[in-house]
Amino acid sequence: MIEREYLQVQGLNVSRGEAHVLFDIDLHLAPNEIVACVGRNGAGKTTLLKSISGFLPCDSGTVTSFGHTLTGQRPYEIARLGVKYVPQDKRVFSDLTVAENLELGSYASGDHNWDPVVTFFPKLKILMDRKAGHLSGGERQMLMIGRAILGQPKVLLIDEPTEGLAPSIVNHLKHVFTELSKSASILIVEQNLPLVCAISQRVYALKEGRFVAELVGADQIRPDVCEHYL
Amino acid sequence: MSNILRWWSGIFIAFAALWAAHWVLPLPFMNEVVVFSIYTIGCNFLLGRVGFISFGQPAYLAVGAYGTAFYLYYFGTDPYLGMLIGVLAGMVFAMVVGLLFVRLRSDYFALVNLALAVIIFYMLQKVLAEITRGDNGLWFLTNIASSGPFNLTRPIQFFTFAVLMAALVWALYKYLDDTLFGACCLATKVNETKLEFIGYDNFKIRWLAFVMANTTTAFAGTLYAIYLGFVSPEMTSPARTADPVVVTILGGVGSLWGPLVGTLAYTGLRDVASKFIGNWELFVGLILVFIMMTNSVGLYGTLEAWARRLFQKNAAQENKA
Amino acid sequence: MSSQLLVSGVIFGLSLASIYFLISIGLSLCFGLMRIISLDQLLYYTVGAYLAYSVSVATGNLWLGIGAGVIVAAVLALLIERVVFRRIYERELTFSMITSFGLLLGGIGAVKGIWGVVPRPVRMPFDDQINLFGTDIPVYRLLVIAVAVLVYIGIWAFLNRTIIGKAIRAGIEDMEHVEGLGINAARLFTITFVLAGALSALAGGMYAPLIMVDPHMGLEVLAFVFMVVIIGGLGSIKGTLYSSLLVGQVVSIGSLIYAPLAIMAPFAMMMLILLVRPTGLFGSALAK
Repeated sequence: MIEREYLQVQGLNVSRGEAHVLFDIDLHLAPNEIVACVGRNGAGKTTLLKSISGFLPCDSGTVTSFGHTLTGQRPYEIARLGVKYVPQDKRVFSDLTVAENLELGSYASGDHNWDPVVTFFPKLKILMDRKAGHLSGGERQMLMIGRAILGQPKVLLIDEPTEGLAPSIVNHLKHVFTELSKSASILIVEQNLPLVCAISQRVYALKEGRFVAELVGADQIRPDVCEHYL
Repeated sequence: MSNILRWWSGIFIAFAALWAAHWVLPLPFMNEVVVFSIYTIGCNFLLGRVGFISFGQPAYLAVGAYGTAFYLYYFGTDPYLGMLIGVLAGMVFAMVVGLLFVRLRSDYFALVNLALAVIIFYMLQKVLAEITRGDNGLWFLTNIASSGPFNLTRPIQFFTFAVLMAALVWALYKYLDDTLFGACCLATKVNETKLEFIGYDNFKIRWLAFVMANTTTAFAGTLYAIYLGFVSPEMTSPARTADPVVVTILGGVGSLWGPLVGTLAYTGLRDVASKFIGNWELFVGLILVFIMMTNSVGLYGTLEAWARRLFQKNAAQENKA
Repeated sequence: MSSQLLVSGVIFGLSLASIYFLISIGLSLCFGLMRIISLDQLLYYTVGAYLAYSVSVATGNLWLGIGAGVIVAAVLALLIERVVFRRIYERELTFSMITSFGLLLGGIGAVKGIWGVVPRPVRMPFDDQINLFGTDIPVYRLLVIAVAVLVYIGIWAFLNRTIIGKAIRAGIEDMEHVEGLGINAARLFTITFVLAGALSALAGGMYAPLIMVDPHMGLEVLAFVFMVVIIGGLGSIKGTLYSSLLVGQVVSIGSLIYAPLAIMAPFAMMMLILLVRPTGLFGSALAK
């Protein structure tokens, strides 16, 4: 049963320096699910994603995906196991072109089929030869996600993708995530409650490093309910 | 009152013991140890408290030494005045140089200091050869007067003087550690943004620390000059830049007694080992790498840990009894 | 100054620049990608020179010597990277500075132990001179310059046309993201480090016939190489190229005008530049 879980986190405790930031976090991702983690600034959302993907060490607890243990592994080993982290800062390799950015993704994953990327993000096709540093925020976000889906990862950890983006792009991303969930599971961290409530099957509310609620079902997954728990 | 006594007692005991050691160990060795440890405490302070490593300490050593040497060679015979001149020269030099150097990132700082040491070396060797006599150096042993509270031409009296000076230097650094300034220095190393927010000027603190550390180094230079009665550019040659760094790491960074312990070990090892181990540099290099890799707290830290464990064991046994 | 002197001064400056460039590239790349200061590059430089000496004396062929030097130094660099640096990548800069300094020192000791302290001469493979702009220039010096140019082109091609090179460029900008894609960071680091060592050894081997090979040669060049990387800025290949050329010319022409200028001028230049830009002309900041 556990082996089929796309992602399983048990008893995770994380400190940053002297400060204990995450307390006894339990979460899981079933197949083809979109799960959201909401919380105020400083609640620990990015820390959560970073510890799962190996960028921050864990004090205790385990993270597994398909029965493989992720805790203690290097970030690139975790990425190779099919768990990809899409960070918050919309940073791409600015000195490289869009095509070269994708090339790196292909090189890492061995997947040279860019069709899914172009299908999701047709605009990238036009931008192939442009230096990534010259892209707008929305285009960078698309490139980051496009890069991450090469290699057909099973788990995507996406950190505040819609921050600072225009509504039309946010809408586009909404569809992309829904499509993606047909072949992967997504753990998305967001402040944009309407978006999150529209696409997620479950929502975890993170408050001061602890999960204070797990919302399931249409009547619970609503912005006002989320607000209540935060 | 008893607090003051207690504060001084550590220093008193340590330096009394150091002085007494000359009955057991050769005097030239002890003299070297004392002066070298003054040389090192500046470097230790800079690295341990402010977080800067300098590969160019010999530059400031040379400035102090040559300041004294020029006076004694060309002008007068009073060694105390000569030392004062050397220290002042070192201080002014550090003040000026510090204005530029202290703004740099730690790696640039280290490298720039190294370049400075090489420049000074070159200047002493070639550019100013007319007044420095180049590689031949300046000899002025006979110029040193034997008057004054200590007759510095006699090794034993020099030694007593040097130990006294060292004790004062240590007291100064210990005092600073306990004051706000010491805390600020540590803070600039650990979290400079926060310090700025509280309203302290990182630059000024670093600059002050830099001047203090290098003036101490210059002072060591003046002591060398008086002790040997001789200076030469070799003291700041590229090969010499390693000495203070190695001793600092060996003794333990950031501890008050690290420089003393480190110097004792380093000088002792060098004298003993170079008779048996022909290749001193290989040995030193490996020690340095080993200490860094094993995250050691240096000799002093290790000794301290042992001592503490020993005392704890004793206390536990007493409790049981 | 006669034009003959000037021409030979310029050529001399260019060959100096070539040597500085080869060593500085390694230092700059190691900093840019791994955030370490690798002072032990000067050790690979020394090893390259000494092996060029030994092998050329044994076989009469300098090129074999240079080749041997590059290979041995690369292997040495590989070992050191695996055993030492791999454990200290996450630490602050001073850590790698002190550790690499220890390695350099220890290495110099080893060199002394193996070859002794007496400086060794290395025979130039050919004494030919060629007449350029009315001056006789040793062809060997031109060869050194040519090799450096080839290396620059090679590095450029590597960084811009190969996938590993692009990964390195990406890593210099943001190593976390590179790892997040699934690229093996450890392997990238090793490749960069060994490349740096090989280039430093090439510099040592090529330079050997022009100077005497002695155990402290690394320390003597150290100050100049530092000035080059500081002026150009750590982490920038372009910066390294420009500052090598600049420092090379300043040292060379400077020494023709007034001998002490050879070291004073680059130092003064470095100080001036640092006043305006504390991380050098093209230097990258440390904060990620």
